[in-house]
Amino acid sequence: MYRPVSGTAILRLLQLLIVLALVVAGNLSAQTQAEGIQLPNPGTDLWREVRQRAQPATPGPTSPMRQAPGIDLWSEVQQTNPVPAGNTQVKSVDSGMLINPVGDQWRRFRMEMLVPYGGYVLGGALLLTLAFYLIRGRVPIHAGPSDKRLLRYTVYERMIHWFIAAIFLFLALTGLTMLFGRSLLIPLLGPEAFSLLASASKEGHNLFGPLFLLALALIFFRFVRRNIYQRGDLAWLLRGGGVIGSKHVPSNFFNMGEKSMFWMLVLVGGVTALSGIILVFPILGLGRELMALSHVAHGVTAMAMMVVIVGHIYIGSIGMEGALEGMATGYCDLNWAREHHDWWAEQCEQNGEVVSVEEAAGTEGFAQGAPKHAPLGETGK
Amino acid sequence: MARMKFYCDAERCIECNGCVTACKNENEVPWGVNRRRVVTIKDGVPGERSLSVACMHCSDAPCAAVCPVDCFYTTEDGVVLHDKDICIGCGYCFYACPFGAPQFPADGAFATRGKMDKCTFCAGGPKADNSAEEYRKYGSNRLAEGKLPLCAEMCSTKALLAGDADVLSEIYRKRIVYRAASSLQRGVSYQDATLRSPSGLTGRASSNE
Repeated sequence: MYRPVSGTAILRLLQLLIVLALVVAGNLSAQTQAEGIQLPNPGTDLWREVRQRAQPATPGPTSPMRQAPGIDLWSEVQQTNPVPAGNTQVKSVDSGMLINPVGDQWRRFRMEMLVPYGGYVLGGALLLTLAFYLIRGRVPIHAGPSDKRLLRYTVYERMIHWFIAAIFLFLALTGLTMLFGRSLLIPLLGPEAFSLLASASKEGHNLFGPLFLLALALIFFRFVRRNIYQRGDLAWLLRGGGVIGSKHVPSNFFNMGEKSMFWMLVLVGGVTALSGIILVFPILGLGRELMALSHVAHGVTAMAMMVVIVGHIYIGSIGMEGALEGMATGYCDLNWAREHHDWWAEQCEQNGEVVSVEEAAGTEGFAQGAPKHAPLGETGK
Repeated sequence: MARMKFYCDAERCIECNGCVTACKNENEVPWGVNRRRVVTIKDGVPGERSLSVACMHCSDAPCAAVCPVDCFYTTEDGVVLHDKDICIGCGYCFYACPFGAPQFPADGAFATRGKMDKCTFCAGGPKADNSAEEYRKYGSNRLAEGKLPLCAEMCSTKALLAGDADVLSEIYRKRIVYRAASSLQRGVSYQDATLRSPSGLTGRASSNE
């Protein structure tokens, strides 16, 4: 319904307008007052003028960031892309790069992650192994040592095993010297003596490092067939290889744990070896980004290998009765084989490959061919 | 004590490589090693600038942090130096350094890295000042003679400055103020022009220092 505007309403509107006008006028006068004040710093005027001139005449697509060319320049100086952005007469690795974008990340990785956590993980693995030994003790041959032997590893197999073992231990010790020496060994040896040790470690690590790749290849081609996963491995895994519960878990020539270690060694060790090859040849002129990445890969994978090898060395030496025999003499005890690799032992017995202690001692494995092992798919059941 | 710093003024550097040559000659740096280099960005396009870079003698030096044999030390003047008798040439300082300062002569089997070499701020090394051994391993020790690094002393446009950080920042602050004034007088901003001597201004484009 239409109602004419009343007189009081018009008055109210007028009131409101007057108030608004007063407020606006007050603001304006305050502004003019402020501009009129002479500030003691003449630089204020200067900067006001500079800022006004820096305003683009027409607000266009130019972003406000582009008003200062220094920002452009700085973004090229502090480049985030590790491809050199500049030109220089000095021709060497990354010489056209003013600020290395990955150096600080690498520093944080090495000093705040690899050194402390690597130490914890490695120390933890050693402590866990010790605790396991103290709790579970040595795994005995339950049936007692027999006077029968089985050929487990040929001379060639033992040779490549001890070849890679020696190289691995040497590389691990020299690598750990360079990683933890500053915090652990300098206080003991002093800087000069440690420098000598570290220098020898570096040269030795560089010289023997590439041989690890060769040893790894030899191991891979010799043992890959026996390390392919097969039926029964899942059951072994689910029962923790016999650690869970007291019942024995059957397995073939290699059990699931050994197979997993083999594949871990091949894959992780392969990364360690290849990243090491990148690090050992600065003559290739590779950039710092790749070098730093390789170092990260090298450190992490080497640490993982060392942890697993601690377990491998333990179970192959003091952790299990009869385990070292096969790799040391080439022959293993028949009872040991029955208890730990029963499907393989069964097949050897069927093939009549059991020899006496005297026979084994006589040949030392030199006259023997490769031990027959269950072909793929035949688990000896 | 003074805190020694380098400063390179991108508005003044003309990419003459005089600093590189001066350094190489003064310190008899081995073949293939350059302690200092001039890097040009936006080479050949508008906004081109050059900067001379060497070791910046960081307060929290990444090289010293990652060194596996702890061969770095900082002198009373804030100069980061290293001991070549301790260095094993592992290259870690090169990975960590933001400025690419550590250099390595090719050495040994597979041409791996030899002992690291870098700018010493013309302050020699841990051997006796100005001894023959110090000169052979680290180059000249001008600081011990009361002189500043030769690269900065030779800079023809005084783009590269070396010395106490407070003095350098004071010089650079003056330059900035004069530049702002000159660009204002010329009616241009940083956006549209490089800096030249203003024709109509009684002042200067930059300070005399």
